[in-house]
Amino acid sequence: MIVMNDKYILAIESSCDETSASIIKNGHEEIATVVLSQMDTHANYGGVVPEIASRMHIENITMVLEETLMKSNMTMDNMDAIAVTYGPGLIGSLLIGVEAAKTLAYIYNKPLVPIHHIAGHIYANNLEKEMEFPLIALVISGGHTELIYMKENYNFKRIGGTLDDAVGEAYDKVARVLNLPYPGGPLVDKLAFEGEDTYDLPIPLDDNSYNFSFSGIKSAVINLRHNEEQRGNEINLENLACSFQNRVIKILTKKTMRALKEYNVKNLIIAGGVAANKGIRNEFVKLCEENTINLTIPPINRCTDNAAMIGAAGYYAYKLNHFGDLNLNAKATDELH
Amino acid sequence: MTSLFIDTSTKFITLSIIKDNKQCYFFHEKVFEELSVKILPLISDALKQCNLKAHDINKIYIVTGPGSFTGIRIGLTIFKVIAWTLKIDIVPISSLELIASTKTDTDYIVPCIDARRGNCYIAIYNENLDMIVSDRFTSFQSFIDDILLDKTFQIVTYDDIDNGNKIVPQIDIIKVINKHKNDLPINPHMINPNYLKKTEAEENFERKNN
Repeated sequence: MIVMNDKYILAIESSCDETSASIIKNGHEEIATVVLSQMDTHANYGGVVPEIASRMHIENITMVLEETLMKSNMTMDNMDAIAVTYGPGLIGSLLIGVEAAKTLAYIYNKPLVPIHHIAGHIYANNLEKEMEFPLIALVISGGHTELIYMKENYNFKRIGGTLDDAVGEAYDKVARVLNLPYPGGPLVDKLAFEGEDTYDLPIPLDDNSYNFSFSGIKSAVINLRHNEEQRGNEINLENLACSFQNRVIKILTKKTMRALKEYNVKNLIIAGGVAANKGIRNEFVKLCEENTINLTIPPINRCTDNAAMIGAAGYYAYKLNHFGDLNLNAKATDELH
Repeated sequence: MTSLFIDTSTKFITLSIIKDNKQCYFFHEKVFEELSVKILPLISDALKQCNLKAHDINKIYIVTGPGSFTGIRIGLTIFKVIAWTLKIDIVPISSLELIASTKTDTDYIVPCIDARRGNCYIAIYNENLDMIVSDRFTSFQSFIDDILLDKTFQIVTYDDIDNGNKIVPQIDIIKVINKHKNDLPINPHMINPNYLKKTEAEENFERKNN
């Protein structure tokens, strides 16, 4: 039943290699979501090929939208607004979602709500249980590593982030060094549980800032492998995965727990594709229990890119009248604010 | 009968609205702003000027390439969505055929779009817009040497192509539409860019695996 005060957001996400659409009610209830992942195609190339991603987005965009509407038993006229990821991400991929969203907003005369991709990842948690404020969000994925402070709904203050590689990117690169198939991040996590912390790797950017840097430890893994090969020593993959993962966990937890303390915050959200990492999850669960922090991590299918999270964020942006025009452009990089 | 014609595949954007075989709106300009910023406001203004709403359009003729990959995708995403959601017939048009609608004095009209590093998108059409040599991605010089040979031809291009025998396109949209007015429309889900060129990643992958 459609009630007058209920707000329905049609959301579109195409920032990387997933074409997705979703209908979200009142910012927390998922009505229908379709995610078409291109991962199997990009696996052939050992990583996402931007031009192939753009080509697949345009091939699939209308089918994904149609399936979403069919699953919801609703029509465009029932929607209150169209939300879309405008950035950051792959520009050619973003453009498909942005043009499609602008076109639907124009044709059906609906407000257009541009959403920052990181805001989407954070709001994936609102689909589980309503977010409590103030909170700290740690967003970790193949493209992002960000620490965000939120005083209230849709109020973002970035307190730190990666200076080079995203944490997921470092995982995938280390996986390649270990000859694991793409996307190798989850396999590194799996191997880490079978190994021991025996290799001497640096702790990445262990300073007083809230920034991260993962290119150093990635290079250290590459050099270590190279040196061991030169010496004719075999690498223990499990132990190397474990040593790498332990350093990453250590710095992520250290800086996040410090942020919670400094900002006097009792709510922590972990979001993004790397939030699916068991090693990272387990350590945060343990530390948050010890420090009575209210921790939320979305289920795995909501950690990776999807439009449901954009629809959840879109509802709050819509309520604040954060609207875009027909001249909205996609942005490859943009700070969350 | 109201038709809309759109081309975003080259640096010249073309948008035309045709009511009963007469153009009630025509835009054909080099666009310096970003296409994604400019294009929907332009379409919105065009329809307003003709006192039309999008659902008044009966048929969309859209250039699907070859040309700028991003340019083609921006225009095609918009009209793929419009054709799908408003159930409007959509017909694909070649960017080279549109350029070949230029009036020339020769039997062979050679539309050409620069594709960098000595390559181009090129074809041969006659004055009735019949395709004599199909649209292709190739080296400009080899096309001149191997295919055009001693034919009397006229190159038509917007681009700085190093050949004395070239003129700037004077496109004739009505001529192109009349040529395609009986074409069967395509299911909007299935209308996609005609790149004429695989991505470099795909080419390398195939080379490695053959």
